[in-house]
Amino acid sequence: MEPISSRWSNVSSKDNNNKEVTFSDLGSKRIRHGSAGADSEFLSMSQKEIKDEDARLIYINDPDRTNEAFDFTGNSIKTAKYSVFTFLPRNLFEQFHRVAYVYFLVIAVLNQLPQLAVFGRGASIMPLAFVLLVSAIKDAYEDFRRHRSDRVENNRLALVFEDNDFREKQWKYIRVGEVIKVVSNQTLPCDMVLLATSDPTGVVYVQTTNLDGESNLKTRYAKQETLQKATDLETFDGFIKCEKPNRNIYGFQANMEIDGRRLSLGPSNIILRGCELKNTEWALGVVVYAGSETKAMLNNSGAPSKRSRLETRMNLEIILLSLFLIALCTTAAATAAVWLRTHRDDLDTILFYRRKDYSVRPEGKNHNYYGWGWEIFFTFFMAVIVYQIMIPISLYISMELVRIGQAYFMTRDDLMYDESSNSSFQCRALNINEDLGQIKYLFSDKTGTLTDNKMEFQCACIGGVDYSDREPPESEQAGYSVEVDGIILKPKMRVRVDPVLLQLTRNGSKATEEAKRANEFFLSLAACNTIVPIVTNTSDPNVKLVDYQGESPDEQALVYAAAAYGFLLIERTSGHIVINVRGEMQRFDVLGLHEFDSDRKRMSVILGCPDMSVKLFVKGADSSMFGVMDEVSYGDVIEATKKQLHAYSSDGLRTLVVGMRKLNDSEFEQWRSSFEAASTALIGRAGLLRKVAGNIETKLRIVGATAIEDKLQRGVPEAIESLRIAGIKVWVLTGDKQETAISIGFSSRLLTRNMRQIVINSNSLDSCRRSLEEANASVASDDDESVALIIDGTSLIYVLDNDLEDVLFQLACKSSAVLCCRVAPFQKAGIVALVKNRTSDMTLAIGDGANDVSMIQMADVGVGISGQEGRQAVMASDFAMGQFRFLVPLLLVHGHWNYQRMGYMILYNFYRNAVFVLILFWYVLFTCYTLTTAITEWSSVLYSVVYTSFPTIVIGILDKNLGRRILLRHPQLYGVGQRAEGYSTTLFWYMMFDTVWQSAVIFFIPLFAYWGSTIDTSSLGDLWTIAAVVVVNLHLAMDVIRWNWIAHAAIWGSIVAACICVIVIDVIPTLPGYWAIFQVAKTWMFWFCLLAIVVTSLLPRFAIKFLVEYYRPSDVRIAREVEKLGTFRESQTMGTEMNQIQDPPRR
Amino acid sequence: MSSNTASSSGGSGDSSAARKNSKRPKYSKFTQQELPACKPILTPGWVISTFLIVSVIFIPLGVISLFASQDVVEIVDRYDNDCIPAPARTNKVAFIQGDAPKACNRTLTVTKRMKQPIYVYYQLDNFYQNHRRYVKSRSDSQLRSPKFENQISACKPEDDAGGQPIVPCGLIAWSLFNDTYTLSRNNTPLAVNKKGIAWKSDKEHKFGNKVFPKNFQKGNLTGGATLNPDIPLSEQEDLIVWMRTAALPTFRKLYGKIETDLENGDTIQVTLQNNYNTYSFSGKKKLVLSTTSWLGGKNDFLGIAYLTVGGICFFLALAFTIMYLVKPRRLGDPSYLSWNRNPGGGR
Repeated sequence: MEPISSRWSNVSSKDNNNKEVTFSDLGSKRIRHGSAGADSEFLSMSQKEIKDEDARLIYINDPDRTNEAFDFTGNSIKTAKYSVFTFLPRNLFEQFHRVAYVYFLVIAVLNQLPQLAVFGRGASIMPLAFVLLVSAIKDAYEDFRRHRSDRVENNRLALVFEDNDFREKQWKYIRVGEVIKVVSNQTLPCDMVLLATSDPTGVVYVQTTNLDGESNLKTRYAKQETLQKATDLETFDGFIKCEKPNRNIYGFQANMEIDGRRLSLGPSNIILRGCELKNTEWALGVVVYAGSETKAMLNNSGAPSKRSRLETRMNLEIILLSLFLIALCTTAAATAAVWLRTHRDDLDTILFYRRKDYSVRPEGKNHNYYGWGWEIFFTFFMAVIVYQIMIPISLYISMELVRIGQAYFMTRDDLMYDESSNSSFQCRALNINEDLGQIKYLFSDKTGTLTDNKMEFQCACIGGVDYSDREPPESEQAGYSVEVDGIILKPKMRVRVDPVLLQLTRNGSKATEEAKRANEFFLSLAACNTIVPIVTNTSDPNVKLVDYQGESPDEQALVYAAAAYGFLLIERTSGHIVINVRGEMQRFDVLGLHEFDSDRKRMSVILGCPDMSVKLFVKGADSSMFGVMDEVSYGDVIEATKKQLHAYSSDGLRTLVVGMRKLNDSEFEQWRSSFEAASTALIGRAGLLRKVAGNIETKLRIVGATAIEDKLQRGVPEAIESLRIAGIKVWVLTGDKQETAISIGFSSRLLTRNMRQIVINSNSLDSCRRSLEEANASVASDDDESVALIIDGTSLIYVLDNDLEDVLFQLACKSSAVLCCRVAPFQKAGIVALVKNRTSDMTLAIGDGANDVSMIQMADVGVGISGQEGRQAVMASDFAMGQFRFLVPLLLVHGHWNYQRMGYMILYNFYRNAVFVLILFWYVLFTCYTLTTAITEWSSVLYSVVYTSFPTIVIGILDKNLGRRILLRHPQLYGVGQRAEGYSTTLFWYMMFDTVWQSAVIFFIPLFAYWGSTIDTSSLGDLWTIAAVVVVNLHLAMDVIRWNWIAHAAIWGSIVAACICVIVIDVIPTLPGYWAIFQVAKTWMFWFCLLAIVVTSLLPRFAIKFLVEYYRPSDVRIAREVEKLGTFRESQTMGTEMNQIQDPPRR
Repeated sequence: MSSNTASSSGGSGDSSAARKNSKRPKYSKFTQQELPACKPILTPGWVISTFLIVSVIFIPLGVISLFASQDVVEIVDRYDNDCIPAPARTNKVAFIQGDAPKACNRTLTVTKRMKQPIYVYYQLDNFYQNHRRYVKSRSDSQLRSPKFENQISACKPEDDAGGQPIVPCGLIAWSLFNDTYTLSRNNTPLAVNKKGIAWKSDKEHKFGNKVFPKNFQKGNLTGGATLNPDIPLSEQEDLIVWMRTAALPTFRKLYGKIETDLENGDTIQVTLQNNYNTYSFSGKKKLVLSTTSWLGGKNDFLGIAYLTVGGICFFLALAFTIMYLVKPRRLGDPSYLSWNRNPGGGR
């Protein structure tokens, strides 16, 4: 196991470097705990204290002394970023983190130099100021709301122990070291270590919805030692030494000293800010972390930020445009230099130049002329200022707006609303919408993602005998119930029972060997878990429901199953459990509990039974359980069970094995001492506890095995098929056994009968290499066959981070399906990284559990299923949704649309700005190479903000190249994005040629028409402005595919808006262009020029567009024709099977 | 009563309560992106008829534009070279800056009947009224109102004379064109109306009727015409015309209007004062007498452009029709889809 842990730490550190992620430290920490390799390190550390400089000391109920030395943070929180005074500087500082804004600013500053002042002050600062202002208002509003919620939060009241009594105190005044009382349904104001609770055993139940979104109850315990003392708080004397604040919400290490005794504290002794107390009357605790140091606040960071592929691709074109810009500026500077050089002797007297100022002294002084070299220099920078919008700054803002709009429509999509969990689609990352259209590899978790994660107990194998009568007898439909003190207790969920087995358990007293085993089996199921039973009232006062809450759905299913057979778990505290065995209450003392961890893959409890014996019950995955069984005594039962397990997993069932052992006194004492030592250890406790567990979990007697069905989610097979047709390679990564995985593979249509299965199942590097290479060779020889690759976690240990990765990758590329079973969470990320590092294709990972977090963060796009297993996956994801099948509309419909829209929008933005810049540039050739603009400076500024930006944003949000139905009916259309047909350098160059042509037409038609006429600068400028706006908008109109009223309003509206702006600018008498638009628009010439410009500039594009679409039609074009003309035909065949996805019930 | 926490149990929740706090997005055609829309596609029929329509519109427009241009009668006389006495032509700049008499006589012959109004223009070539230094050198607020006569910061180096602000300041006003023309037909004076040559809007709102020229052309270097300090700027139409800076380096400015018809064969004597110095940058000066059409002056470019574009469109319509007839493609034929063309790619 050694290599795994070291390898994982590599992977995780790499991961951490790459992106800042909320849960990365959490994920890696958990996994590091899970690896055996870390044990030795922890052992050596276990006896050490927390170093003083790494610890904080909290004197219980003595906040003054606590805060004396350290001055801990108070409990008032501030999620708001700014105050009234810091708002301006801080907000500006943050906004200028965007490179685009810095470019803007540099240009504006350059423009302020008197020699370079191209635009007036106002016009040069306006766009930047506008953008900054809009963002600032948005930030200010958000911050105002945060201030308000902070205020509400800080002024909430809590009961604090002061002057021998509990008094209400506002949250913001709570200090570290104080003792607080929290009552039922109250929210915790800070992180506190439990001292006492209303429960005599010290248990509290908390709901952590606010923290990690999990709605099930979790148990936390007060230490037995503090329970008694807490009744007399005045004399309570002790201190807690705990680690510095950190954001790991699942970890806490501290020890407490009271009366000279040292107790160790762990994550189960602390309740965190934001949790809610449930099913517990009250709880007392001492504040250890307050305010911004609480774990909840430390975890309060936003969604991970990723950059979209398209945006990264776009940078190349941005560089090209920069070069283009430099070329234009150089041309302007060079030609200006030539002119100055040839006229150098006449500059003093040229009427329109007048170098010398004679008013100062008779021989004259140079006015605004700094010599030849400087003039070139100034001209260059003035050109940069004039042509600045060549780099489309507004594009970045437009892109953000478009993504927000796209996200809005994705979240509002009716097709992606999940009724069962009442969750709609969530867009957590706002800047990778378009990546959804280019996915080539899909990595999916199985449990909870492909399946519902609603476990149903199906069959049991007890003592090697299979009890799996799937036909439920009608008589038993009523379900099990038991009467206690006149109240009927019922488990909340019914489970189908096997009549033979039920009969056996009922005859428990008549004690055949079989019946005894069966009883033992169900007792183990009822006892060996961490489920919390909660008794809830029903409408009938005599009937109460027992609801089982727990973190693992498997355990829930097993406990419900035990309940159905008469072993009703009724109560759980930290010290004991109460099980109602067919009406008889039995109390078991819980002497020890070894929690499940992914390394041991089993859990165990040590129970003191009513008959005073001590028994160890162990439950775990078969692979880990058969190793710790007493094979000598129970070899035949084990064999029979193994056979049965194989049969179960072939049916796609999840299996668990249960074992037990009676402990004699010496064993128990030995265990108890080492357990206590381990559980009070401060550092490396997890490793120590695991070792203790490993020592006791041996020589078990096999009790039986369970089989649980994990049902496929609705629509999963159809979804997988669609995705496969769309050319997406689907990899399923699961922790399940190979047989289970394969059977799920078949039922989800990932695997089909005509695929050849290649199974890699190796135990050493060499055998792994051999089988991979053989497989590779066999696939290479016949390429027409479709192949499914199945590889297990053990083999992956040898493959990952090794040269075998390449071999596996090649093999996987040739396979049509890949199934990885028995993979550990870190291996999931490793597999994603393997693919991601070897190809430029986009990867998407989808999962629902904490074990998928690393994979979700590793992939280009991470999707979280908000399902049963808590919300860590959702928290780490970029997109979250309720069901796997929503991937189909998400990728094939929204992904396709978003990619097309964004690709077109980027190209169009390049084009529209370049057209304008080129018009300005052509004019420079006719102004003595000085940077005069005929177009007014206000129009220059407004051009990319008002005249042309709105339509591109609207089109970027709303246009659809194809309808939803046809995209779903022909998943192959998704290939457009995979082949990057929506945006490429080739398209960019076509666009640029078109740009040059259009700008030349716009510029030169009026130039020749008005050459040698009385036309003045402003009038001609207005003509150019309006012509450019009309052409650019009509160009967009030509490419709009769906003309709904919004598109009409945007395009025609922005032409009208531009005209209005031009008119408004021309009615200001202090501007030189006063009334020009009215003068020029009176003439026929103006309108003749405009018509000629519009038609001539768009003519080539129109003709070529038609020729390409008609004679070299793309798939999208054909599909559009199909859609419009209704020529479905052969496509009908697969329509029927896809119905489930296409036609979900619309209300 | 904590039924809403029972998410994992899958029990039958109270359905009406569930519906009440359902997060299901409100269904609307807008949010589902299903707004009714027209989806035009470029079919051969559409494209060919578009081209035909364009050519049908453009060719007639081109023809009438050409006719309009042909209707315009224009007399152009370049005089900058001829109006310098032969001995002085070696150093024209010295001559123009000197004190020698600048009068010059030109004779123009009318070759075609010209109906009134006949516009008298002066045309300058190679004069960059759009030069950056030049266009910025003006103060629009000073022109409007005497209140702002000190706003001269943009006007350097023609901003003040001896500390007093120049009105109108700046290079544009300073370089006001100062050649003058006196016309006579067959030895009878021909009236040139110099009223109404500037934009009405300029006279009324841009140039103040209370603003009088001050300290104008008092500097060490005289650029052009002087202004009568007793006439407000709103009446100085030559200045107003000149201050509407030309967009292009070859431009005409209206000098005045002749309000009688000129007959074919008339000779017109022009006595002009050749004062304006375009010689230092080899600019040309021309006197132009021209009628106008509804489309403007004499310029065939637009007519030719319309005919060309119309012709190309007609040609394209023809070519596409032939292509369509020779090699048609059935629209919406799924067999053209890439995965149907080369099977094996998809499933």
